[in-house]
Amino acid sequence: MATISLKNVSKKWAGFTGVDALSLDIADGEFLVLLGPSGCGKTTTMRMIAGLETISDGEIWIGDRVVNTLEPKDRDIAMVFQSYGLYPTMSVYENIRFPLRVRKVPRETHHERVMRAAAMVELGDFLERRPAALSGGQRQRVALARAIVRQPTVFLMDEPLSNLDAKLRVSTRAQIKNLHHELKTTTIYVTHDQIEAMTLADRVVVMNRGIVQQVGTPMQIYDRPANTFVAGFIGSPAMNLIEGDIRSGVFTATNMRVEGLAGMPDGPVTLGFRAEDAGVADRGGQISAPVYSMELLGDASMVTVQCGKALAAVKTPKDFRIAIGAPVGITVPASICHFFDARSGHRIEHPGKD
Amino acid sequence: MSVLTAKTSPWMRGAAIGFITLWLLMAAFPFVWTLWGSFKVQGDFFSRQDWLNALYGVQTLAETGSSFTGRGYYGAWVEREFWRSVINTGIVTGFVVVISLTFGTLGGYALSRSTARYAFWILIAALIFRAMPHITLLSGYLLPFFQLGVWGYLSTAIIVLVAINQPFTIWMLNSFFQTIPKDLDESAMVDGCSRFQAFRLVIIPVMWPGVITTGLFSFLLAYNDFAVTAVLLSQENQTMVPKIASFMGSTQVQGNVMFAVSAVVSATVPLFILVLFFQRHIVSGLTAGAVKG
Repeated sequence: MATISLKNVSKKWAGFTGVDALSLDIADGEFLVLLGPSGCGKTTTMRMIAGLETISDGEIWIGDRVVNTLEPKDRDIAMVFQSYGLYPTMSVYENIRFPLRVRKVPRETHHERVMRAAAMVELGDFLERRPAALSGGQRQRVALARAIVRQPTVFLMDEPLSNLDAKLRVSTRAQIKNLHHELKTTTIYVTHDQIEAMTLADRVVVMNRGIVQQVGTPMQIYDRPANTFVAGFIGSPAMNLIEGDIRSGVFTATNMRVEGLAGMPDGPVTLGFRAEDAGVADRGGQISAPVYSMELLGDASMVTVQCGKALAAVKTPKDFRIAIGAPVGITVPASICHFFDARSGHRIEHPGKD
Repeated sequence: MSVLTAKTSPWMRGAAIGFITLWLLMAAFPFVWTLWGSFKVQGDFFSRQDWLNALYGVQTLAETGSSFTGRGYYGAWVEREFWRSVINTGIVTGFVVVISLTFGTLGGYALSRSTARYAFWILIAALIFRAMPHITLLSGYLLPFFQLGVWGYLSTAIIVLVAINQPFTIWMLNSFFQTIPKDLDESAMVDGCSRFQAFRLVIIPVMWPGVITTGLFSFLLAYNDFAVTAVLLSQENQTMVPKIASFMGSTQVQGNVMFAVSAVVSATVPLFILVLFFQRHIVSGLTAGAVKG
């Protein structure tokens, strides 16, 4: 068990900055998710914590030690790789036992610990097989068992679910969540899938281009995105972002007019709202435009309209039907709106909102 | 195979089988001919009257009283002490293989995992050295070796052969190592291995087919080498191939050519056994390098 601290950690390659002055404190037992699109530096950050990548600048602390120059083996971590990294010449049992063997853990405890780890991920029946004879989900579980067998102070997981099919991903996700609940080991988890991040994390770190965009609980990140990048990345669908102008408390954009924004500074601004917060109006509404597309999701229907260049999606009840091209009014009250600086993209709190 | 299993007419099938059989016979004929002839006397195997004498052994019967004779073998192995050359070849090839593989696996692994740009140029340089005819190196070696007093020893030939062979082994092993994902080393290192332990405990077991294949090529290079061993070894330290050549060089003496023939057969047999024994590893080693990636 340990806390982890990153202090102004950077990774630079010749002429390219992978991670830029990242600072982060991770509490003991916390489940932290690094989230971002590919190339955002999340995996590099994890690999620096693991010791698989050198650190260009800054300090990484695990517990009360600076680990910058320590070998991966001396950092007391375990890692689950995206491709699992199982040893093809060893049986499942030997794979799980390998960390105990190389770390010279007393031999007589091996069997019990391997069996316990295997039982935790329900692998008992496959111990004699080679990894090649396992399905993707089973290999994944071998990798998990190999990580937990030694009870390290930190777990690192690098997109562990991305090679699984959709159904298996959901059940393995639940298994990881449950494992963390039982073991209470500090865990850092890298993913580009925001649903994984929302469901697993105690706290989410959203990254883009090597820079942390926002750190917060899943709900904070969902409800109060710090900038347009986070707003446009989190949620399914992502937040609608519409560029427009505020003049004396009224936001206007193509096909759109929102009133009641007293206290907001005048000038260009980006307005954001979530599809599920808005609704179709019986009459009037802040947006009035022809329907651009209509998608049936089963549990809801998604109506999309155009506001200038931007598309705005609205979630409606599942039995709502409307023809494409028909005029529709959409209610976007000021209370559901988020505002972002038109240039920097940073969030602007508006005084009218609680 | 797939060409044959697809619906081909019996004629095509017959033609294909016929062609392969013919090709096999043609390829095997020199070996079989030499093996057969090695049990005859020179007068038969190099008969001027009738080439069929080599088949029936007319002279052999007249000279030795039997249609097969072990004289060639006796002359080579006992009179001319071919066994010394066999031992020398064993020493040379053994050391060349072991040294080449040791440096080759370490170097190939390091280069395959290196992100430095010079790694590529080292490999290119290796390829160039490999492409040069061996004899170009030797002319330069000869004088310094004489002056240093290291000419003629087995160890000198071993070092030179390793030097010639090493670029190739590093190159080949490097490409094998590149087919093994880096994740494997990395998970081993996180699991508690040092870099070298990861190499020894995780990577090498996966690499066996590649190591065996490369080892076999190194073996063949050392075993079949003529240029280096002929120039650098003294008479008593000669390996098999230059020894056989020296039998050939003294054709004035009746029978010495037969020493060469029987020595050739003696030198070929171990190769056959070796290739048959490792045949499965070689195939899997070659395809593993080519397909997995």
